[in-house]
Amino acid sequence: MPSPRLHVLPWSQPLIHAVVAWLARDWAGEGPLDLTGALVVMPTGQSERRLREALASHAANHNQAVFPPRVVMPAELAMLNAPASGVATKSELLLAWVQTLLDADFDALREVFPKDPPQRNFAWAARLANEFIRLQSTLTENGLRMADVPSRAGENFPEFARWQQLGELEAACEAVLAQHSLYDPQAVKIAFARNPAPPNGINRIIVAGTPDPLSLAIKVLAAYAESGLSVDVLVSGPSEGGEAAALFDGWGRPVPETWATRPFSPKDFAQRVRLCADPSAQADAIVACALGYGTPGGKLDVGVADAEVLPSLENGLARAGVPAFNPEGRPLRGGSLHTLLAALAELVMREPSFASVAALLRCPDVLAWLGGSPVKLLTALDDLHSDHLPATLAAARAKARPGPLANALEEINRLRALLLVGVFPENVRTVLTEIFRERKFDQARPEDLRAIEAAQAWGGVLTELETAVKRFPGLAAVDVWELALRAFGDSQRFDDKPEGSVELQGWLELLWDDVPHLIVAGMNDGRVPDAVVGDAFLPEGLRERLGLKTNAARFARDAYLLHALEAVRAEGRGRLDLLVGKTSAAGDPLRPSRLLLQCADADLPARVAFLFSPAEAARPTPAWMRTWKLKPRTDAKIETLSVTSFRDYLKCPFRFYLKRGLKMEAVDPHKAELDAMDFGTLCHAALEAMGKPDSPVRDCTDANVLRGFLLEELDRTARAIFGDYPALPLVVQLESARQRLSKVADVQAQLRADGWVIERTEWSLDIVIGGMPVRGKIDRIDRNELTGEVRVIDYKTSDTPVNPVDAHVRGPKRTEDVDALPEFARFSLGGEDAIWVDLQLPLYLEAVAAEYGHAVACGYFNLPKAAGETGVAIWTGYDADVQAAAMRCAEGVVAVVQARRFWPPTELPVEHDDFGVLFPQGAEASVEWPEAEVRT
Amino acid sequence: MKKLGHKMILASAGSGKTYALTNRFVQLLACGAPPERIVALTFTRKAAGEFFDEILNKLARAALDPKEAQRIGANIGEPQLMAADFLRMLRAMVTAMHRLSLGTLDSFFAKVVRAFPLELGLGGDFEILQEHGVQLERQRVLRQLFARAGGELDEAQVDFIEAFKRATFGAEEKRLASRLDRFIDEHQNVFLDAPDADAWGNPQRIWPEGSAWLGKPGDTNGADEVIRRWAAGACANEKQQKRWDDFLEAMDVWAPGAAMAKSMDYVMVKALEVWAVLGEEDVELIIERKKQTVPPEIGAVLKVLVSEVFRGELTRRLEMTQGIHTVLSGYEAIYHDLVRRAGKLTFADVQRLLMPEAGAPALSAGGEGEDGRLFVDWRLDAKYDHWLLDEFQDTSHGQWSVLRNLIDEAVQDPEGRRSLFYVGDVKQAIYAWRGGDPRLFREIFDHYNEVAPGTIEEGRLDKSWRSGPVIVETVNRVFGDAAVLARMLPTVAAERWTREWRDHESAKPQLGGQVVWLHGADEHERAALTLKLLSEINPLERGLSVAVLVQSNDKATWLADYLRREGGLPAVAASDLHVCMDNPLTTAVLALLQAAAHPGDRFAWEQVRMTPLASLVESGEGLTREVLRQVHEEGFARTVETWLRRLEPLVGADDSFSRERARQLTEAAQRFDETGGRDVAEFVQFAERHVVRDAETATVVRVMTIHKSKGLGFDVVVLPDLEGNALATPRRDGLAVQRAEDREVEWVLDMPPKLFHEHDEVLAAHMAGAEADAAYEKLCLFYVATTRAKRAMYLITKPLSEKSTSANFPRLLTETLGAAGPTETARVGAWACDAVFAEGDGKWFEAISVVGESNTEMQCDRGILVLPEIDPVARHPARTPSGTKTGMVTGAVLFGATSASAANFGTAVHQAFSAVEWGGMTPELLALWNAAGLGDPVVAEARACLDSEGLGSVFGHERGFEVWRERMFEIVLDGAWITGVFDRVVLKRDSQGRVVAVTVYDFKTDRLVAGGEAVVLARYAGQMDVYRRAAARLAGLSEAFVRCVLVLTSLRSTVEVMGAGAD
Ligand code: SF4
Repeated sequence: MPSPRLHVLPWSQPLIHAVVAWLARDWAGEGPLDLTGALVVMPTGQSERRLREALASHAANHNQAVFPPRVVMPAELAMLNAPASGVATKSELLLAWVQTLLDADFDALREVFPKDPPQRNFAWAARLANEFIRLQSTLTENGLRMADVPSRAGENFPEFARWQQLGELEAACEAVLAQHSLYDPQAVKIAFARNPAPPNGINRIIVAGTPDPLSLAIKVLAAYAESGLSVDVLVSGPSEGGEAAALFDGWGRPVPETWATRPFSPKDFAQRVRLCADPSAQADAIVACALGYGTPGGKLDVGVADAEVLPSLENGLARAGVPAFNPEGRPLRGGSLHTLLAALAELVMREPSFASVAALLRCPDVLAWLGGSPVKLLTALDDLHSDHLPATLAAARAKARPGPLANALEEINRLRALLLVGVFPENVRTVLTEIFRERKFDQARPEDLRAIEAAQAWGGVLTELETAVKRFPGLAAVDVWELALRAFGDSQRFDDKPEGSVELQGWLELLWDDVPHLIVAGMNDGRVPDAVVGDAFLPEGLRERLGLKTNAARFARDAYLLHALEAVRAEGRGRLDLLVGKTSAAGDPLRPSRLLLQCADADLPARVAFLFSPAEAARPTPAWMRTWKLKPRTDAKIETLSVTSFRDYLKCPFRFYLKRGLKMEAVDPHKAELDAMDFGTLCHAALEAMGKPDSPVRDCTDANVLRGFLLEELDRTARAIFGDYPALPLVVQLESARQRLSKVADVQAQLRADGWVIERTEWSLDIVIGGMPVRGKIDRIDRNELTGEVRVIDYKTSDTPVNPVDAHVRGPKRTEDVDALPEFARFSLGGEDAIWVDLQLPLYLEAVAAEYGHAVACGYFNLPKAAGETGVAIWTGYDADVQAAAMRCAEGVVAVVQARRFWPPTELPVEHDDFGVLFPQGAEASVEWPEAEVRT
Repeated sequence: MKKLGHKMILASAGSGKTYALTNRFVQLLACGAPPERIVALTFTRKAAGEFFDEILNKLARAALDPKEAQRIGANIGEPQLMAADFLRMLRAMVTAMHRLSLGTLDSFFAKVVRAFPLELGLGGDFEILQEHGVQLERQRVLRQLFARAGGELDEAQVDFIEAFKRATFGAEEKRLASRLDRFIDEHQNVFLDAPDADAWGNPQRIWPEGSAWLGKPGDTNGADEVIRRWAAGACANEKQQKRWDDFLEAMDVWAPGAAMAKSMDYVMVKALEVWAVLGEEDVELIIERKKQTVPPEIGAVLKVLVSEVFRGELTRRLEMTQGIHTVLSGYEAIYHDLVRRAGKLTFADVQRLLMPEAGAPALSAGGEGEDGRLFVDWRLDAKYDHWLLDEFQDTSHGQWSVLRNLIDEAVQDPEGRRSLFYVGDVKQAIYAWRGGDPRLFREIFDHYNEVAPGTIEEGRLDKSWRSGPVIVETVNRVFGDAAVLARMLPTVAAERWTREWRDHESAKPQLGGQVVWLHGADEHERAALTLKLLSEINPLERGLSVAVLVQSNDKATWLADYLRREGGLPAVAASDLHVCMDNPLTTAVLALLQAAAHPGDRFAWEQVRMTPLASLVESGEGLTREVLRQVHEEGFARTVETWLRRLEPLVGADDSFSRERARQLTEAAQRFDETGGRDVAEFVQFAERHVVRDAETATVVRVMTIHKSKGLGFDVVVLPDLEGNALATPRRDGLAVQRAEDREVEWVLDMPPKLFHEHDEVLAAHMAGAEADAAYEKLCLFYVATTRAKRAMYLITKPLSEKSTSANFPRLLTETLGAAGPTETARVGAWACDAVFAEGDGKWFEAISVVGESNTEMQCDRGILVLPEIDPVARHPARTPSGTKTGMVTGAVLFGATSASAANFGTAVHQAFSAVEWGGMTPELLALWNAAGLGDPVVAEARACLDSEGLGSVFGHERGFEVWRERMFEIVLDGAWITGVFDRVVLKRDSQGRVVAVTVYDFKTDRLVAGGEAVVLARYAGQMDVYRRAAARLAGLSEAFVRCVLVLTSLRSTVEVMGAGAD
């Protein structure tokens, strides 16, 4: 094989400078630096960028400019002026595979599919297709197709039959492509590589600093060399080492034997290598260093060998205000456009869920498009959710009150219609132009520029899919969306490089970086070098047989790279630091890179002891400390009290203030079913109707008729609130309500038979205590037509029956210091110390006294879970003294509320405290409250 | 290689289990086993990491120091080994590092499944679901389950509701979603172990011979009347009378599944006491402390009533159990479709995929096994010859069943080149509730040794390298007293324990120390005593490690904080901290996010207004816009970061705690961002659940649960939380699961209350078993607790009240260590305390002073890594010529079809022109274009241009002219690096060949209306200026001689762009 000319450039000089010098070696600085006709092979896009810049500034030194060479990466070598047309695009290839897999006859493919796939649908096929495509491109490294594997895997190859069948699948897929007169791109590459047409306009080839070109690329280069093109290979290596052949093969690939055993022993190894507890510890070290430089740009760059470190690092630098640049760019997945598109995709579902609609409405661009006040809109949205629990867009539209929200939902529905009727991707374009109609993007503003790039990327995806979908018709809308979203999400977005930024680059880029101080984070085994151990298709054993990249080759390459990175910065020319993570973010233990253990046997034990010693202790935990005390508004007005609010005050004055004064009420976006209160309201509605003066069953003693009536009422209300098709949990809850009400029917029938007549229902009471209006609603008032007794009744829908006394009064707790309680809350009940916890029923009695006098009983009508316990529980032994005590308490509460005494709070166990989140380490300690000083 | 037998090691606490494992590993290496052929599996990732580090360090020590080499050589029975040999092993280890199978069972299983996705019926590769992921998926599944695709409930849903009603019978539920969540938490694993409905609430399975209670129904009609009438006459007094009335009344109200009223229970119990003869003859019941004779005829009636209660209850329980099954399978069906099939698996799923019980093919190391097996060696690039299993008592039967075949192959290897080694301590089996199955230990041993006696050699380690004599003696007294244990525990449990028990001995007889047992009335007093002890000893200053062990995480957090607050001790709860929720700073930021996304949330709003954030938020509208925008553009980490930075100045200068929390919130946000989620509510929920384990450093008082302390040792251990109910109390989480010998689920039942199960042989038997297991596990827990201490242990319990008879741990202490109350005055340093029990030296610690240790001669550099003197390399900001262009783009244009296609059209036209050197249209050109696959519209456009009058000059042919086409250039202008491409440049040379004039043509394919020139001129002025300067420099002449011409293809016309100089 015609061997190219190999040039070992001294690695004491930055590779980039050496290469530029070499390329410009016969350029005197007269006229432009003209490299037209040269083809330079380089490992990565970023290295290409560096070369162009370096050439430009080299020429600039002579006040000249450059006609750059053509630059390609090894993988592209096999595509130079290959026919552009007729080659399947990514999506076309994918869809071809999908069709192949969906049509495949598994019984004929048992070696590949010993079991039938879990389900045979697009989603499954697409996932597997992607894996097969990845598999194919790996094989292409060495110009192989699946079908070649059996013959190339050599003697006693255990999976011979399996790969034959894979080959058949591949053939089937190619056939599908052929139907649309398309070629498999990988196949095209391989074919091209067999006898590559020399690239036109190219008269010489330079392979620069590319330690592991693909075998396929080598084939192509060899062929070119054959055809008389001059091929020069530039690598940086030890100048003293002499014997280049021992270090690199003809193509500049590090010789494994040499490099895998070459000791890596820089002086002060222990100062260069640092063990860090976890990713954020690594980030901290780097940030500290960057700050140490003040302006680190051009002095310090970072190699990120373990992608896990990147987020911590980027956030860390941002926090420290150090400009950073990641040439890798970042995927558009998670960008705002992607989120918007994902939400739109949900609209084409059979029944878009309310959740997805809510997500869509929270997209900034949608809010902007809808105009008006986002606050009003989103508030309405949450109210709609908590009041009506709509499960779907339809349900939401049915229930939304006229106003911005209703209009918004209609708009969304319109978009949906557009998406459902039109043809892809026209309909998508229509919808997006609709949403962004008003928006102007200013190319001068970076964030707008980002948006523009994203939009263009999306445009690209659509155009590609457009043709693909035309070729493979009959795809479901959801599936097309799925494809589009994935393609879009995977495409990268590149920020432009901020002035004087620290560059964060992948391991393979570092060879081309000429910065004096380089820190490499994530020098861990499995990261550098990455290693394949075990695979469903290409385990290491098979890779070796097939001449694909092996662990050994990777190791040699990375060993070489590490040496090169060190050498260029050795002898005070600069500095290389290596960070070794001890654990991953998820807490998995990590091991140091094997590269760091390359040393003379004599040094090994010490190295091991050093590299496997515990990492520097992670940050010490400071004792808990209060950031600040909360300063609630103290001026919230409380001009009326509801009957139930007395309970709140007696429980805790401060929380009473938060609830009744500041009206602190949380929104639960995850609400999926009725809460206790909704449930009560629902039952009440039916019960009220039953007792209304005009109710047909007011005097009914026939349980069945009552039952019929109650359930009828219940259904009506439920339908009115939740529509015809409430979600499952509601169905169950309504069921529960039915059971409870039908039991009520029995009890009620009996009550009526016993002479109890419902006098009033939902009677709004309106009394004034100590000048404070007190409001409330009495569920019902009964009078017994036989005995004339009157009683005030409150419905209780809690799961277990409630006894009126226990609900209102408690005894002192063992440890409790009763005297600490306000005097008005205490009284004596049957000679025992008693404490008020609630005043509901007594206040009712107070309210009815005017009309019914004082000889009125009170109690609860319990509708508990256990049907057996349904019934009226009367407060036995209730007398004038109790009433008096209760009123004293009520007046007491009113007085302190008027005096605005809301302090101190009661300390409650967090799990029973709706306000717990405000009170870490105790309520009283958490809040700054004027009275606090007064007290102490 | 040299043969090594199979070994089972029963290793008591502190007897050097890890030491034994690492020795075994080294021994294997020494005998020539290649490291990658050794599989060593542990339970926790941490253990795996430490295990690996320990092996390497051991080898390193031996390789470095001949004495060490000799010592270790001797320990592993290879005295001939030299330092050089260990060095060789060390090299072998590091070289094979990436191929070692040394990790957790979970990761091992995952690796296998990854290698065989299609064989195991997966759709392809899969991802492992982390905890938050599982939560989200569950919510997704429930949403799907609950959603009604418009219209009626589908069949499945109807069944589901029916089942749910049955499952929650008697206590019909008004909260489906939350109840369901509980169902899943409690029962999902049982369901997955026994998906078959047949095992659930199936009387045939439970009572193969039929149940006495479920015979044919008796007739209860009028029964109560009969009894009432009889009682009216037969009662000696009201009290008795009332008993019977209440009984009948309660019976009337009672419904199966519901709780039973006292009054009902009272008579039931009496009746059951005399059940055998009840109704046969006159029986005497003691009702209200008075004899009462029940004649046969009444007894018979009573018997029927009671029997019917039993029938009712049992039948109801069976129904409920079936209901639960149907509910779970309804959920599981959807979960399976939506989650597992989509390739999202939990570690539990992964394991289940491999379990033969679940129909998975057996794993095999290959060679000639029959088909249908999965040959791991090829796909995993591995040969597994040697198996090392750690903490074997915690191995579940499922895990074992996955490994079984591979290990069989190893154990039955004819040449004995392969081996099994498993180690653990059945006395530390505290993970039974998680599936850990300590009985496997013996079973496996017996299994192999029955076939061929002596196959597995049994080893025992009862010498504690951790604890000093005082500790060990105490442990022996408490846990070695067979008599007391037999008295206190169910027989089975006591026997199981005593069978494996050997008295421990301390390997460090000289190690001083102390055991003291104190009484503390309530948790505050016990906390105070803990603090007192620690401040007396102050271990940290003496360089002693110390731990306080408790039974729950909450207790740990509370106590750690108590010690920090009250004692100013550096106490750390080695428990999960809710770092985003336990402080005002991060909760404020979360409230802000909530308020922005849910502006109606008055709670969040007021909370924000109570904090310094209030001053940073101008309007609600503004906030909502800003936050949503930022979250959607950049994710939560950046958003949270922004607000934290604004708050930074408001955080106290000395408040490192809040700053740490701030950092942790950002990290949580980072984790969340990785899921791609952008929903604020979802993030807030994530943050609420997000927990962090406090950093473990030697120099703090570590407060942790006993469970977490397993495997650790401390100089000083305080146990202030040993209370609890009887040891033999089964965990009462719902379903009773009866398993056969082979662990297969025989039946599942929602166990009825005591009164019922204790009067049914089958159920009683099951409960007895459950109690025995519970007692055994609890005993293990306290064994673990009392074996953590190296030197000193302090027990603090509540004094036993006279009446309490509950057989809990304090009781066990009392019975074994004697003394029911403070008897002696013990000394802890200077402090004289009333001890219930005290041993050892109260001044044990006074001799000890701090000891600094350095493990390696190479020390990691901790300073900031900065180079003193360096000059930065020059870097030019990058620009493109068009980068200088400005202007607005409207959304319509941006997202419309045109922009994309226009772009393509433009490129294509450029491509077409690049093929044109001079002159007009030629057939060759056309051929070229078509070959390049340019579409007709493009060809048409290009052709029209070539033919057009207006553009003649552009392509017109003239002598002595040179043309650049599609030519790229690099140049530095004004310090910026610019890459550009000339569409077409025409150069005029003079006779000497010097360039004298240059024209730069730039093709613009924008669709333009006549007169659009002006627009274009404005738009491209900047760009053309760059071209002019570049061309000038490249051609080596002044800009004055460079013309720049825009070629407007749509108008077939040109416009010249005048340079800044000219006009
Ligand atoms: S009691 Fe009979 S008649 Fe009267 S309302 Fe009820 S059902 Fe009708």
